Amino acid sequence: MKARAMKRLLIAVLLVSWRVAAATEATPHRIVSIIPAVTEMIFAIGEGSRVIGVSSYDHFPPQVERLDRVGGLLDPNVEKILSLKPDLVIVYATQAELKARLARASIPYYSYEHRELADVMQTIRAIGARIGATPAANRLASDMEQQLDDVRRSVARLPKPKTLLVLGREPGSLRRINVSGGYGFLHDMLVTAGGANAFGDVKQQSIDATTEMILGRQPEVILELRYGERPDAAAITREIRDWDALPSLPAVRDHRVYILSGNEFVVPGPRLVDATWRFADTLHPNRH
Amino acid sequence: MLENVFVAAKRGAIVGLLGPNGSGKTTLLRLMSGTLTPDSGAITVDGRPIGAFSRLDLARRIAMVPQETHATFDFTALEIVLMGRYPHLGAFELEGADDLSIARDALAATGTAAFESRPFFTLSGGEKQRVVIASALAQASDILLLDEPTASLDLGFQLEIVDLLLRLNRNRRTTMVVSTHDLNLTASLCSELTLLFGGRVIASGPTERVLTPENIRALYHVDAEVSRHPLTRQLTVTPLGRAQ
Amino acid sequence: MTGAFGALLILMCLLAPLAGSTTISLVRAFDRSLPFADNVDAQILFIARLPRVLAAALVGASLAAAGVTFQALLRNPLAAPETLGVSMGASVGAMIAITAMPPRLVGGMSTVPLAAFAGSVAALGVVYLLSIARSRGMSTTVLLLGGVVLTTFLGAVISFVQYLSDYTQTARMVRWLMGSLDVGSYEPIGLALIPMAIAAGGYATLPRTLDLLSLGAESAASRGVDVVRSERIALVSASLSTGAAVSLAGPIGFLGIVVPHMVRLLVGADHRVVLPGAALFGASFLIGCDVIARRAFAPLELPVGIVTAIIGGPFFLWLVLRRAR
Repeated sequence: MKARAMKRLLIAVLLVSWRVAAATEATPHRIVSIIPAVTEMIFAIGEGSRVIGVSSYDHFPPQVERLDRVGGLLDPNVEKILSLKPDLVIVYATQAELKARLARASIPYYSYEHRELADVMQTIRAIGARIGATPAANRLASDMEQQLDDVRRSVARLPKPKTLLVLGREPGSLRRINVSGGYGFLHDMLVTAGGANAFGDVKQQSIDATTEMILGRQPEVILELRYGERPDAAAITREIRDWDALPSLPAVRDHRVYILSGNEFVVPGPRLVDATWRFADTLHPNRH
Repeated sequence: MLENVFVAAKRGAIVGLLGPNGSGKTTLLRLMSGTLTPDSGAITVDGRPIGAFSRLDLARRIAMVPQETHATFDFTALEIVLMGRYPHLGAFELEGADDLSIARDALAATGTAAFESRPFFTLSGGEKQRVVIASALAQASDILLLDEPTASLDLGFQLEIVDLLLRLNRNRRTTMVVSTHDLNLTASLCSELTLLFGGRVIASGPTERVLTPENIRALYHVDAEVSRHPLTRQLTVTPLGRAQ
Repeated sequence: MTGAFGALLILMCLLAPLAGSTTISLVRAFDRSLPFADNVDAQILFIARLPRVLAAALVGASLAAAGVTFQALLRNPLAAPETLGVSMGASVGAMIAITAMPPRLVGGMSTVPLAAFAGSVAALGVVYLLSIARSRGMSTTVLLLGGVVLTTFLGAVISFVQYLSDYTQTARMVRWLMGSLDVGSYEPIGLALIPMAIAAGGYATLPRTLDLLSLGAESAASRGVDVVRSERIALVSASLSTGAAVSLAGPIGFLGIVVPHMVRLLVGADHRVVLPGAALFGASFLIGCDVIARRAFAPLELPVGIVTAIIGGPFFLWLVLRRAR
């Protein structure tokens, strides 16, 4: 009798301790990240060594060039992801099918969606907690918030020019212009850097702006973002001259049309701080 | 496909092209209308090769009634008939009062005057065919080519069309070439026949001489009796059975 | 009735520039005492709205006329300017320009519309060569089948190009494919006018022959129509005007198939009225759809293709059901 009870107790204890051990083993060490922003966050926290796979669009930091590629937002290579045997996959909120397949394979995932600037720091903290690097993550987030405050302060007393933040347009013309509306991390960066969004009243991340809409808002500055390699000076000049088709815009009249290139504008991660400084330097070049 | 074919139609005659499916009847009609050009030989109208006619001139001499006409759009019967006036009008000329009265005469001649404003696609098979014949009439040509004019029609409409064609031939002296595989239609309508089999002419001449049981067997592998019907006095073909 | 369509178009041209996603004051717009550079109302009226209304008129007229012509040529009331792959060819041209070509040519002209037009001409060439392959004349059946196959194939090419391109290029392509009448100046219109004018010259010779062709090639030939020449002119005119329209504004659907039928319901089947009528009514129709696109969700603007689909789709469905009865 007593021996049987002892055996049962032993089994129960073993089961419980196995469970506890499993829980502490939950700290992921094989992370696949389909989101370039989160990849940069993980590296910036200092845990880049735990990343074993990244998306086709990851290019920063340089270490990721050695890593396996698993596709992108629209075409994730599920087989490749599974073959890497990850213990955490960073996915985008809309990748429903990928999430379902990961769930079926019992692989945990973290779902991310980029929205506002504040969400970036919040995500850093959440990722930090998820991968068991809370102190480093919190430090990074606080540091970024501090820097953003610095930018805000440096432009605090300056007038805020009405700015058209152009995300893209048909090359060689002013057709099919896509701009940032009054919502989203790019809008927040613009405001932080001391600009007023010409489309700030329309609470959308992306707006197709027609000639009438742009003429109606008379922007004083035009900031165009480019995400790839920096075009050469001649190309930049030609693209700025495309805006000469609307000479009545204050921005064109006053020669305040700028083209900023770099993929930090499309990756809402730690480099957003640099990007915000660049906005500030472009909008208020003589503020020092 | 066609070899060594010689067909002649005298003015005012109704010539039948008789043969089984695939014997070349439609091809021959197309050659006659100018839609196809022969590899050798020539089609002539009054001794003149049709290649020497301009398209519009030829259309003023020869009109064609196809086996079926499908109107993609909702043209009225009158509009279909007025299209027959095309070869008589200048490039941007609109139909005038003359053209309208010719068109209406053609509708009357084919017994379709009542359908003038009705959409063509709402008409029955027989009515449609008569309107298309009216359209060919409005072309005011002296030669009419008809491709299986009664093939898809009910018996009653078949009789109507035969009556109509005979009447037109009598009143207007229109030369007609009719392709058909219907033996009795041929007998009742055509004064002359050309028998086609496998792209070759196997007999031609006046109907009584050509429409014989031997020739029918050669064309259709069918034993038949050809006789004058006691009531109609017309040449009538009665199929007896498959030939052995 | 053609007069009525003309009057409607004039009315639309006068009223449409008064509407937009912003509110302007006509009085201020025409105030000569204000320098143009300071007169926002004038800028919006003359730079944004007037060219846009003109573009809508030209694109609407071109697509409607092409629709009429293709329906008669192919003897199919469901034919549309998109049927033979000319529109797809323009889209492929635009895709290639967006991904692989520099933004502007040496002369300063924007490459995307030029490449789009080149693509449409290439598609026309392919389809035409296919249709004359087996016989001296043009087989409309082969034309139709060839066009459908080409459309499908080019659709796959577009997907492939999008797959290979980066984020920026894909975004640009998606926007181009949505169609836009926001031309912003008269320059792109001027360029598109060249093929449109050539097409108009072809259309002028066609109306009566389209009537006859629509009954069948043999029927038309027996009435004296030069079928080969007429079919060629019809194909080239309709393809040029489609190519010009799509190069100018991107693909805008439903108009080319639906406006011809709307006009036929009003004036009958005679192409001497339907062809010019459809051109005029197509212009008014697209101007009207564009007004809705600009105003419905102000300050935002809808792509005009959505409006033509919302109006054209149910109407087309009704047409099909009506014919089925």
